[in-house]
Amino acid sequence: MAASRPAGGVDAYIHAVRWISRILGYAAAALIGLGVLVVCHMVFVRYVLNENTIWQTDFTTYCLVAATFIGSPYVLMMRGHVNVDVLPHYAGPKLRFWLAVFASAITLAFAVALAILTFLFWKEAWDNKWVSDTMWRARLWIPYGSMPIGLTVLALEALAGLLALLTRREMPFGMEMDAKRAELME
Amino acid sequence: MTPTQQGLLVLLITLAMLLSGAPVAFGLGAISIIFIVIFQGFDALHVVAETFYAGLNDFTLVSIPMFVMMGAAIGSSPAGKDLYEALDRWLYRLPGGLVISNLGACALFAALTGSSPACCAAIGKMGIPEMRKRGYPDDVATGSICAGGTLGILIPPSITFILYGIATETSIGRLFLAGVMPGIMLTGLFMIWTLFIIWKRGFRSHAADFRYSWKQKFQSIPKIAPFLAIIVGVMYVLYGGVATPSEAAGVGAALCVVLAIVIYKMWKPEAWWRILRDTTRESVMILMIIAAAVLFGYMLTSLYLTQTLAQAIADMHMNRWLLMGMINVFLLVCGFFIPPAAIILMTAPILYPIIKAAGFDPVWFGVILTINMEVGLIHPPVGLNIYIVKAIAPDVPVMRIMWGTIPYVICMFLAIVILCIFPEIATWLPDVLMGPVKRA
Repeated sequence: MAASRPAGGVDAYIHAVRWISRILGYAAAALIGLGVLVVCHMVFVRYVLNENTIWQTDFTTYCLVAATFIGSPYVLMMRGHVNVDVLPHYAGPKLRFWLAVFASAITLAFAVALAILTFLFWKEAWDNKWVSDTMWRARLWIPYGSMPIGLTVLALEALAGLLALLTRREMPFGMEMDAKRAELME
Repeated sequence: MTPTQQGLLVLLITLAMLLSGAPVAFGLGAISIIFIVIFQGFDALHVVAETFYAGLNDFTLVSIPMFVMMGAAIGSSPAGKDLYEALDRWLYRLPGGLVISNLGACALFAALTGSSPACCAAIGKMGIPEMRKRGYPDDVATGSICAGGTLGILIPPSITFILYGIATETSIGRLFLAGVMPGIMLTGLFMIWTLFIIWKRGFRSHAADFRYSWKQKFQSIPKIAPFLAIIVGVMYVLYGGVATPSEAAGVGAALCVVLAIVIYKMWKPEAWWRILRDTTRESVMILMIIAAAVLFGYMLTSLYLTQTLAQAIADMHMNRWLLMGMINVFLLVCGFFIPPAAIILMTAPILYPIIKAAGFDPVWFGVILTINMEVGLIHPPVGLNIYIVKAIAPDVPVMRIMWGTIPYVICMFLAIVILCIFPEIATWLPDVLMGPVKRA
C-alpha cells in the first residue's frame, strides 16, 4: 500500500497528534482511577464517619466528564468509538474507501464544530465567573475546559486519520483486505 | 415541512449516517447539529455545547465507568477461568454438566461484569475448547457460549439497564432487580435446550473416565469466593438502600481491582494499565454516545418529532399488544445492525411516552428491550458475540456458529412471550424488595 506517499510532513503530523492523543489517554485513565478513589472516600466519609460530603459528588462527576472529552481522541486512535460496519464490511474496495473517507470527514466536521461551540461556552463561563449551584461552588471554567481541549485534539486526531486514509497509510476502517482487493486499492 | 415529513427526513438521514460506518457518537452529534441549523437557524447553536455537557453532568452516570472497571479488573484476571473450573468440578457428574457449568459460569460472570462481550470471551476461552475436547458438537459448544454471553446485559449490574434508566428516568435499582428473575429464567431455557439437543443427538456421559476428589472441589472455592462476596455485597448495598448505584459501583470496582491484584498477583504496572485502558476505552465510547444521544434527543424534542410520533401512534388506537409486537420487531431489526447502547439511547426517549400511554410498565419494558438487544448480539449481521466466539474457535466455520445460535434466539423469543403473559416474573422482585409502584 505504499503507492504515493507524500514526504515526511504527513508522517510527522500523524506521529505528533498520536503522541498527544496517547498522553490524553493516560490522563483520562488517571481521571477515571481518581474518580473511583474519590467515590470510595465519599462512601467512607458518609457511611463510616457519618459526616456530610461536600465536594466529592461534583469532583467525581467532573472527573468523568473530563475523562470522556480528553480521552476521546485516544479512543478514536484505538478505533474504540463504536460504529455500524455492516455496509463497509460487505462493500467493495472503492465504496469502502469512500465510506471511510466520509466517516472520517464527519468525525472531523463534528469535532471542529463542537470544539468551537464548547470554546465559546467555556469563555462565557470564564468571563462571567460561573460557579456550580451546589454546595461546593466549583468554578465551572475548570471542568468546562476539558471540552474544547479534548475536542480540539479529537479534530486533530480525526484529521490525522483522514490524512492516513487518503495517503493509503491506513486501511479503510482498519479492515484487512485480501491481496486482490489490496491490488484494486492501488 | 410538516413535523411528519421532518421526522421521516431525520430518520432516513440518521439511518444513512449510521450505515455509512461513521462512529455512532459523532454521526448522531453531527446530524443533531445539522438539523438544529436547518430548522432553527444558527442562533439555536448556542445550546449545543451546554446540552452536550449536560448530557454527562449527572452523578448517576458515574456508575458506568465504575461497573466497566469491575468487569475490566475481572476480565483481565483469570477469575473467569477459576469460576468456570469451580462450577465444572462441582457439576461434572451431572448429565450435560459441562454445559450447565458453562451457562452457570456465564450467568455468574454476568453478575460480575455487566458486559456481554467480556462474559462471552472470559467463559468461552475455557468452555469452548473443553466442550469440544469432551466431544460436544461444535454448534452446541459455540452457540451456548454465544447465548450465555448475552446474559451479561440482563443479569445485574447491567450497563444496558443503567442507560435505559437514565434515558427514561426509571429507577436503576428497580431495573436491576427486574432483570434477576428473567435472567435466571433465560439461563434455565438455555440449559434446557442444550441438554435436550445433546440428548437428542445421542450424546450421553462424558465424565465416566475421570473424577474430581472432594479436596479438588473445595480447593476451587477460595479464589472465587471473594468475587462472589462482592456481587452479594454490591447487590445488598444497592437494594438495601444503603448507597446509590454509583457509590456501590465505585466501591465494587475498587474491591475488584484490589482482589484481582492480590489474588492473582497482578503487581506489574502493565496489568494495572490494562485495566485502566480497557475501562477508559469502553467508558469513553459509551459516555460519548450518551452525550450525543442527549443532543439528538434535544433536537428531536425541539422539532416536536418525538411528540408528533407518539401522538400519531396514540391516534391510531391500536391494540396495545399489537403495538408491543411492532415495537419488538422494530427493536429486533435495530438490534441486527446497531449496538445496544446506541439503540437504547436513541429509541428509549421516543418509545417511553408510547409505552407509558399504552399502559405498559416501563420497568418491565426495560427487560423486554434488553432481551431484544441480546438477540442482536448473537444474530447476524452484527452479532458481536459470534465474532468473539469465532476468534476463540477459529476452525469452526462462522455459519456453523450462527446456526448454533438460532435455537437460543428462539429461547429469547420464548422468554419475551412468557414475560408478556407473566409480567410479574420481572416486576415481582422489585415490588417485593423496593415496594410496589402505581401502575397504569
